[in-house]
Amino acid sequence: MALPTAEYVKIVEELFEKVRKFTYVGKHMQRWDAIEKILGKARFTADYANLYKNLVYVYSVRTKYAHARIRKIDVSEAEKVPGVLKVITHKDIPGVNDVGYVIPDQPLLAYNKVRYIGDIIALIVAEDPYIAEEAAEKVYVDYEPLPVILDPLEIVDPVTLEEKKHVLIHDERESDVVARYRIRTGDVKKGFEQAEVIVENEYRTPYVEHAYMEPEAALAIPEPDGGITVIASTQCPYEARRAIAKVLAMPFNKIRVAVPPLGGGFGGKEDVANEIGTKAALASLLTGRPAIAVHKREESVIGHSKRHPAIMWYKHGATRDGKLVAVEARIILDTGAYASLGPFVAWRATVHSVGPYKVPNAKVDTVAVYTNGIYAGAFRGFGNPQIHFAVEQQMDLLAEELGMDPVEFRLKNVLRNGDRTVHGQLLDHGVGLEEALIKAAKAADWYRKRAEYAKQTGTIRKGIGVALLWHGNSIGAEGADYSAVSIIINRDGSITFRTGLIDMGQGAIQGLIMLAAEVLGVPPEYFRVEMPDTASVPDAGPTVASRSTAMGGNATLVAAYKLRKKLNEVAADLLKCDPDDIEIRAPEVYCRRDPTKKIRWIDLVEECFWRGVSLQEYGYYRAPKAKWEDETGHGEPYFTYTFGAIIAEVTVDMETGKTYVERMVTAYDIGRVVNRVGAELHAEGGAIQGLGYALMEELVHSPEGKVWNPNLYAYYMPTILDIPKEIIPVFVEAGYIRGPFGAKGLGEPSINGIAPAIANAIANAVGVRIKSLPMTPEKVYLGLKRKGLIKL
Amino acid sequence: MEEYPDIEITLNVNGKDYTVKVKPYERLIDVLRYKLGFTSVKEGCGRGECGTCAIIMDGELVASCMVLAVQARGKKILTLEGLAPPGKLHAIQKALLDTFAMQCGFCFPGVIMAMKHLLDKNPNPTEEEIKEALSGNLCRCGSYLRFIKAAKLAAEYIRKGQVYFEFKG
Repeated sequence: MALPTAEYVKIVEELFEKVRKFTYVGKHMQRWDAIEKILGKARFTADYANLYKNLVYVYSVRTKYAHARIRKIDVSEAEKVPGVLKVITHKDIPGVNDVGYVIPDQPLLAYNKVRYIGDIIALIVAEDPYIAEEAAEKVYVDYEPLPVILDPLEIVDPVTLEEKKHVLIHDERESDVVARYRIRTGDVKKGFEQAEVIVENEYRTPYVEHAYMEPEAALAIPEPDGGITVIASTQCPYEARRAIAKVLAMPFNKIRVAVPPLGGGFGGKEDVANEIGTKAALASLLTGRPAIAVHKREESVIGHSKRHPAIMWYKHGATRDGKLVAVEARIILDTGAYASLGPFVAWRATVHSVGPYKVPNAKVDTVAVYTNGIYAGAFRGFGNPQIHFAVEQQMDLLAEELGMDPVEFRLKNVLRNGDRTVHGQLLDHGVGLEEALIKAAKAADWYRKRAEYAKQTGTIRKGIGVALLWHGNSIGAEGADYSAVSIIINRDGSITFRTGLIDMGQGAIQGLIMLAAEVLGVPPEYFRVEMPDTASVPDAGPTVASRSTAMGGNATLVAAYKLRKKLNEVAADLLKCDPDDIEIRAPEVYCRRDPTKKIRWIDLVEECFWRGVSLQEYGYYRAPKAKWEDETGHGEPYFTYTFGAIIAEVTVDMETGKTYVERMVTAYDIGRVVNRVGAELHAEGGAIQGLGYALMEELVHSPEGKVWNPNLYAYYMPTILDIPKEIIPVFVEAGYIRGPFGAKGLGEPSINGIAPAIANAIANAVGVRIKSLPMTPEKVYLGLKRKGLIKL
Repeated sequence: MEEYPDIEITLNVNGKDYTVKVKPYERLIDVLRYKLGFTSVKEGCGRGECGTCAIIMDGELVASCMVLAVQARGKKILTLEGLAPPGKLHAIQKALLDTFAMQCGFCFPGVIMAMKHLLDKNPNPTEEEIKEALSGNLCRCGSYLRFIKAAKLAAEYIRKGQVYFEFKG
């Protein structure tokens, strides 16, 4: 039996069809929190320390070995240090000793073994942070060291992907394979028989650090009823609440999680509050005092998830006339010591593994494995920056073999309206990929430059490269996909906006206000965004997966639409005109056909109050159900995709191997631009972060599993000296019927295509193809030397 | 833990004298943040590498995480809180808003201090000089291109004598 279409779906579709002219949506507007931030008044989590007296400080004693059995933990000496109130070990945990996100594989406090260098043995709770750190030296642990495995190829065979015999990292699971996914479409054997050109290569990408400027922090306050309030830097207040409640053995309603502004997140603050929030909560519970935990940078680097290193083997086949006929791939993701979001990352990588192209025959196998490295999880792009680095170089190599222009070759294969994806998903509308590529090529003056750069001599060479990208919006078949907001129009006409979605700098909340303002007819400055707090805001799902604008936006439309309907009805009754004729332009409300019939906004709100018309609305939106068949990888994994085309221009100094990115054009089909400033900042910020991924970033483990560069002096990332002169954002608005006014997400897609575009530009400049990230001067230089292109 | 004596020091922060007791090992950043409440001063790395804790001390741009509080005894310190009179925006703040540079904002206090230090010494900096001056400030959201535009715009405002601006909100 078909269920009736939900009201919220009808609202979103109706607004998509009806509204064509916008007052706020798509305009350049100042963020709601810009003033408090520019004044230095914005209160980040660690700043809350000043608001509480009698604080205790939590310090994490971490393991000295990356892989070892624990024979004994002795904290008696540490407990005797004056000023130490409590030393917490696994024995003190009232509930379940686990903070894993997808799989319960991650103890908060180690008990029988340690699996990577960040594992925590004990928590010192002291009157002062210096005392806590000093007492940590007095925690004695008897370890039995085990072999440290850092190469995923020691876990699985690179060809069969079968698990090899090795010392198990997760003995309790009896396997170190975390997840496997596959795609089986058509017949690859036949596909390759039809292929006239075939390219086959291995690509590698490293561990990468989010390096958000604000290290993680959490402050826990004991409540009179025995509950705990936790102020924490997290992208997911409701998920953090679940994790904390589980460890403390408390019902969800006794844990309250409030989230101040985040100093960046990029996915790294998706699950880390499960850990740091719980540490503070536990200390608070056991001492009865407010407890604060703040990670130093070195702790942050080893204490939160990383981008998955990947080993990817790709074989592509095409016909002489430039049609892709087959793709075969094996993808190995190293999820480090714990799963974190690893299984979902592996799934997303699999879904997108052939790129945004029509591929009739595909065979893809992905495996995510444990090692003794830092655990890998969510990081902007979520598996996609890795696979795009491989796929988009493969596309260029095919074009080269075919003697075709890389843009022209891609245009023969891109997904268009009416095409089916490799999973068999019909994309019947809203695919703006071709338009994005054509616009990017035009903005970058592609054809002229490509021809011009072919004639270069000398040791300073310019190059131009292209990459396409796609990114499924929201969480898809990973889990329950819903969002919610509440909008309250107060009696003075001001508006309170509440959602469990977080602002980590990305600007999504500004987009939501602009959407609400558009529907209500009330300027954004009437709105106040309340701090996300499980005590007041609705559960909006996690702030991840580029879902805030699309999913939160729809929930916002629903709430605003319901309010607008009531306001129109009351106004129509007062002004004696039709409800559809009511125009709200706060502070004025009038009849469109006769604007002399008008009342003030504040009077309309007051009238609603006296008539008992509630102006407090809740908006809920549930995504269309995703489908995924495990055996074939067929279905509808995501309800829609963001598409894009990146063109990068570089200069390569052949004598040093150094690459300078001069200019980038980033063209994205995001359905509809909502928060234009935010979209432009994503285009720029994603490009700069992607440039770091491309050219300089790599977190390196020593053979013993320690981290060689856990601070910002040794972890190289882009400074203002490394950026291009220009990043030109281009937006295509192809419109997706179930996005708010057609909008799709841009948070993550903005990094997917950057590294491969730069790789292709380097190859265009100097004829050297770098198949592993980062593309350092050494790699480029050695590549030139190997090919005899430089004699030095 | 070995007992160290408290030392009484006086700091001049944003034009006002503060006398505080500190331990000899206490860092200036902690005293500013937690004893005096100047929380615009952020800790990003604790090793003078990221610029989020940058302040101006006796006219020099310093990383307050790399300075012991006792070393700041008697010094004149400027933090973001003291950049403009209450209720006003400094030209640098105005320019950063005009260029829509704001993202997470965690690096901003340090970035603004670095710009202030630059413009105090060089009222008409070139693009290269701006980049050099901000090369110690990391911004992971990637607002760098807008920092360059904002620094130029702020310099222009200041040259025209527009140092402070009214603002709404």
